Amino acid sequence: MAKLSGLQRDVLKLYRQCIRAVRLKPDDTRENFRAFAREEFRKNVAMDKKDFGTIEYLLRRGRRQLEIYQDEGIRNIAR
Amino acid sequence: MFRTALLRSARQAICAAPRCQAPIARPVARSFLQSKQTPPAACFQAVRCYSAHAGLAKQEVEGRIMDLLKNFDKVTDTTKLNGEAHFHNDLGLDSLDTVEVVMAIEEEFSIEIPDKEADAIHSVKQAVDYILAQPDAH
Repeated sequence: MAKLSGLQRDVLKLYRQCIRAVRLKPDDTRENFRAFAREEFRKNVAMDKKDFGTIEYLLRRGRRQLEIYQDEGIRNIAR
Repeated sequence: MFRTALLRSARQAICAAPRCQAPIARPVARSFLQSKQTPPAACFQAVRCYSAHAGLAKQEVEGRIMDLLKNFDKVTDTTKLNGEAHFHNDLGLDSLDTVEVVMAIEEEFSIEIPDKEADAIHSVKQAVDYILAQPDAH
Protein backbone atom coordinates (compact mmCIF):
# COMPACT_ATOMS: atom_id res chain seq x y z
CA MET A 1 0.00 0.00 0.00
CA ALA A 2 1.29 3.43 -0.90
CA LYS A 3 2.49 5.66 1.86
CA LEU A 4 -0.43 7.60 3.24
CA SER A 5 -0.53 11.36 3.60
CA GLY A 6 -1.15 13.02 6.94
CA LEU A 7 -4.69 13.85 5.95
CA GLN A 8 -5.38 10.25 4.92
CA ARG A 9 -4.07 9.07 8.27
CA ASP A 10 -6.40 11.53 9.97
CA VAL A 11 -9.32 9.98 8.13
CA LEU A 12 -8.26 6.48 9.20
CA LYS A 13 -7.82 7.73 12.74
CA LEU A 14 -11.36 9.06 12.78
CA TYR A 15 -12.62 5.76 11.36
CA ARG A 16 -10.80 3.93 14.13
CA GLN A 17 -12.37 6.19 16.75
CA CYS A 18 -15.78 5.49 15.22
CA ILE A 19 -15.28 1.72 15.38
CA ARG A 20 -14.14 2.01 18.99
CA ALA A 21 -17.21 4.08 19.81
CA VAL A 22 -19.44 1.48 18.16
CA ARG A 23 -18.25 -1.11 20.68
CA LEU A 24 -19.83 0.87 23.49
CA LYS A 25 -23.29 0.69 21.94
CA PRO A 26 -25.87 -1.92 23.05
CA ASP A 27 -25.32 -5.42 21.64
CA ASP A 28 -28.51 -5.58 19.62
CA THR A 29 -28.03 -2.32 17.73
CA ARG A 30 -24.25 -2.35 17.42
CA GLU A 31 -24.35 -3.62 13.86
CA ASN A 32 -26.52 -0.69 12.79
CA PHE A 33 -23.95 1.74 14.11
CA ARG A 34 -21.15 -0.18 12.47
CA ALA A 35 -22.92 -0.20 9.12
CA PHE A 36 -23.72 3.48 9.46
CA ALA A 37 -20.08 4.43 10.08
CA ARG A 38 -18.97 2.23 7.23
CA GLU A 39 -21.45 3.81 4.82
CA GLU A 40 -20.59 7.34 5.84
CA PHE A 41 -16.94 6.73 5.07
CA ARG A 42 -17.66 4.81 1.88
CA LYS A 43 -19.81 7.63 0.53
CA ASN A 44 -16.74 9.74 -0.06
CA VAL A 45 -14.26 7.03 -0.86
CA ALA A 46 -13.83 8.34 -4.41
CA MET A 47 -12.87 11.80 -3.16
CA ASP A 48 -9.83 13.30 -4.87
CA LYS A 49 -7.07 13.10 -2.29
CA LYS A 50 -5.80 16.54 -3.31
CA ASP A 51 -9.11 18.18 -2.46
CA PHE A 52 -7.89 19.23 0.96
CA GLY A 53 -10.63 21.77 1.67
CA THR A 54 -13.46 19.32 1.16
CA ILE A 55 -11.71 16.50 3.03
CA GLU A 56 -11.03 18.77 5.96
CA TYR A 57 -14.64 19.88 5.98
CA LEU A 58 -15.82 16.26 5.92
CA LEU A 59 -13.41 15.38 8.71
CA ARG A 60 -14.75 18.18 10.86
CA ARG A 61 -18.28 17.08 10.14
CA GLY A 62 -17.41 13.48 10.91
CA ARG A 63 -15.84 14.39 14.24
CA ARG A 64 -18.87 16.38 15.23
CA GLN A 65 -21.17 13.56 14.20
CA LEU A 66 -19.09 11.09 16.22
CA GLU A 67 -19.36 13.34 19.23
CA ILE A 68 -23.13 13.49 18.88
CA TYR A 69 -23.63 9.76 18.32
CA GLN A 70 -21.30 8.85 21.17
CA ASP A 71 -23.94 10.05 23.60
CA GLU A 72 -25.22 7.16 25.70
CA GLY A 73 -28.78 8.31 25.12
CA ILE A 74 -28.51 7.29 21.49
CA ARG A 75 -29.19 3.57 21.48
CA ASN A 76 -30.10 2.88 17.90
CA ILE A 77 -29.62 4.38 14.51
CA ALA A 78 -31.96 4.18 11.53
CA ARG A 79 -30.73 4.34 7.99
CA MET B 1 28.61 -4.87 89.91
CA PHE B 2 25.84 -4.12 87.46
CA ARG B 3 28.27 -4.59 84.63
CA THR B 4 29.41 -8.01 85.81
CA ALA B 5 25.83 -9.11 86.24
CA LEU B 6 25.09 -8.01 82.73
CA LEU B 7 28.11 -9.81 81.33
CA ARG B 8 27.26 -12.95 83.20
CA SER B 9 23.71 -13.00 82.05
CA ALA B 10 24.87 -12.35 78.51
CA ARG B 11 27.29 -15.24 78.68
CA GLN B 12 24.61 -17.44 80.10
CA ALA B 13 22.28 -16.44 77.33
CA ILE B 14 24.88 -17.26 74.70
CA CYS B 15 25.50 -20.67 76.25
CA ALA B 16 21.81 -21.30 76.63
CA ALA B 17 20.87 -20.12 73.20
CA PRO B 18 22.04 -23.12 71.18
CA ARG B 19 20.68 -25.44 73.81
CA CYS B 20 17.18 -24.07 73.62
CA GLN B 21 17.35 -23.32 69.97
CA ALA B 22 18.17 -26.87 69.05
CA PRO B 23 14.90 -28.43 70.22
CA ILE B 24 12.93 -25.62 68.62
CA ALA B 25 14.81 -25.62 65.38
CA ARG B 26 14.59 -29.34 64.81
CA PRO B 27 10.83 -29.75 64.79
CA VAL B 28 10.51 -26.69 62.55
CA ALA B 29 12.97 -28.13 60.10
CA ARG B 30 11.31 -31.50 60.24
CA SER B 31 7.82 -30.14 59.69
CA PHE B 32 9.13 -28.00 56.86
CA LEU B 33 10.61 -31.05 55.24
CA GLN B 34 7.50 -33.05 55.84
CA SER B 35 5.22 -30.48 54.30
CA LYS B 36 7.55 -30.35 51.35
CA GLN B 37 7.46 -34.09 50.97
CA THR B 38 3.80 -34.83 51.40
CA PRO B 39 2.04 -32.55 48.94
CA PRO B 40 4.71 -31.47 46.49
CA ALA B 41 2.43 -31.61 43.48
CA ALA B 42 -0.20 -29.39 45.08
CA CYS B 43 2.40 -26.80 45.99
CA PHE B 44 3.80 -26.73 42.51
CA GLN B 45 0.44 -26.38 40.84
CA ALA B 46 -0.66 -23.54 43.01
CA VAL B 47 2.48 -21.65 42.10
CA ARG B 48 2.10 -22.40 38.43
CA CYS B 49 -1.49 -21.30 38.29
CA TYR B 50 -0.61 -17.83 39.41
CA SER B 51 2.69 -17.21 37.73
CA ALA B 52 3.10 -19.20 34.59
CA HIS B 53 1.38 -17.63 31.64
CA ALA B 54 1.88 -19.86 28.69
CA GLY B 55 1.45 -17.06 26.14
CA LEU B 56 -0.04 -17.54 22.75
CA ALA B 57 1.32 -19.97 20.21
CA LYS B 58 2.07 -18.59 16.79
CA GLN B 59 -0.20 -21.14 15.17
CA GLU B 60 -3.14 -20.23 17.36
CA VAL B 61 -2.74 -16.51 16.71
CA GLU B 62 -2.48 -17.12 12.99
CA GLY B 63 -5.54 -19.38 13.04
CA ARG B 64 -7.64 -16.85 14.89
CA ILE B 65 -6.64 -14.03 12.56
CA MET B 66 -7.37 -16.20 9.50
CA ASP B 67 -10.80 -17.14 10.86
CA LEU B 68 -11.51 -13.51 11.44
CA LEU B 69 -10.52 -12.65 7.87
CA LYS B 70 -12.53 -15.56 6.49
CA ASN B 71 -15.62 -14.14 8.15
CA PHE B 72 -14.88 -10.61 6.98
CA ASP B 73 -17.37 -9.83 4.22
CA LYS B 74 -14.89 -7.84 2.14
CA VAL B 75 -12.60 -10.81 1.67
CA THR B 76 -14.06 -12.52 -1.36
CA ASP B 77 -11.17 -14.66 -2.52
CA THR B 78 -10.30 -16.91 0.41
CA THR B 79 -7.96 -19.05 -1.69
CA LYS B 80 -5.30 -16.37 -1.38
CA LEU B 81 -5.67 -16.30 2.38
CA ASN B 82 -2.53 -17.64 4.05
CA GLY B 83 -0.03 -16.73 6.71
CA GLU B 84 1.79 -14.35 4.42
CA ALA B 85 -1.21 -12.70 2.74
CA HIS B 86 -1.04 -8.95 2.29
CA PHE B 87 -4.33 -7.19 3.02
CA HIS B 88 -4.16 -4.94 -0.03
CA ASN B 89 -2.13 -6.86 -2.60
CA ASP B 90 -3.53 -10.34 -1.96
CA LEU B 91 -6.92 -9.82 -0.38
CA GLY B 92 -7.90 -6.67 -2.23
CA LEU B 93 -8.74 -4.67 0.87
CA ASP B 94 -8.40 -0.89 0.86
CA SER B 95 -7.17 1.26 3.73
CA LEU B 96 -10.61 1.54 5.33
CA ASP B 97 -11.02 -2.24 5.27
CA THR B 98 -7.57 -2.62 6.76
CA VAL B 99 -8.60 -0.39 9.64
CA GLU B 100 -11.66 -2.60 10.16
CA VAL B 101 -9.52 -5.74 10.16
CA VAL B 102 -7.02 -4.31 12.62
CA MET B 103 -9.85 -3.17 14.88
CA ALA B 104 -11.38 -6.64 14.71
CA ILE B 105 -8.01 -8.13 15.67
CA GLU B 106 -7.86 -5.68 18.56
CA GLU B 107 -11.25 -6.89 19.76
CA GLU B 108 -10.39 -10.56 19.24
CA PHE B 109 -7.28 -10.43 21.42
CA SER B 110 -8.71 -7.82 23.82
CA ILE B 111 -5.87 -5.37 23.51
CA GLU B 112 -5.63 -1.80 22.33
CA ILE B 113 -3.33 -1.15 19.40
CA PRO B 114 -2.03 2.42 19.28
CA ASP B 115 -2.64 4.28 16.00
CA LYS B 116 1.00 4.29 15.02
CA GLU B 117 1.34 0.52 15.32
CA ALA B 118 -2.06 -0.04 13.75
CA ASP B 119 -0.98 1.95 10.69
CA ALA B 120 1.98 -0.36 10.22
CA ILE B 121 -0.05 -3.59 10.05
CA HIS B 122 -0.67 -4.46 6.40
CA SER B 123 -0.47 -8.23 6.29
CA VAL B 124 -1.39 -11.35 8.22
CA LYS B 125 2.27 -11.90 9.10
CA GLN B 126 2.68 -8.40 10.52
CA ALA B 127 -0.47 -8.82 12.58
CA VAL B 128 0.69 -12.18 13.96
CA ASP B 129 4.11 -10.77 14.85
CA TYR B 130 2.53 -7.81 16.55
CA ILE B 131 0.19 -9.97 18.63
CA LEU B 132 3.01 -12.31 19.63
CA ALA B 133 5.00 -9.32 20.86
CA GLN B 134 2.13 -8.26 23.15
CA PRO B 135 2.33 -9.84 26.60
CA ASP B 136 -1.29 -9.06 27.50
CA ALA B 137 -2.90 -10.35 24.32
CA HIS B 138 -5.13 -13.34 24.93
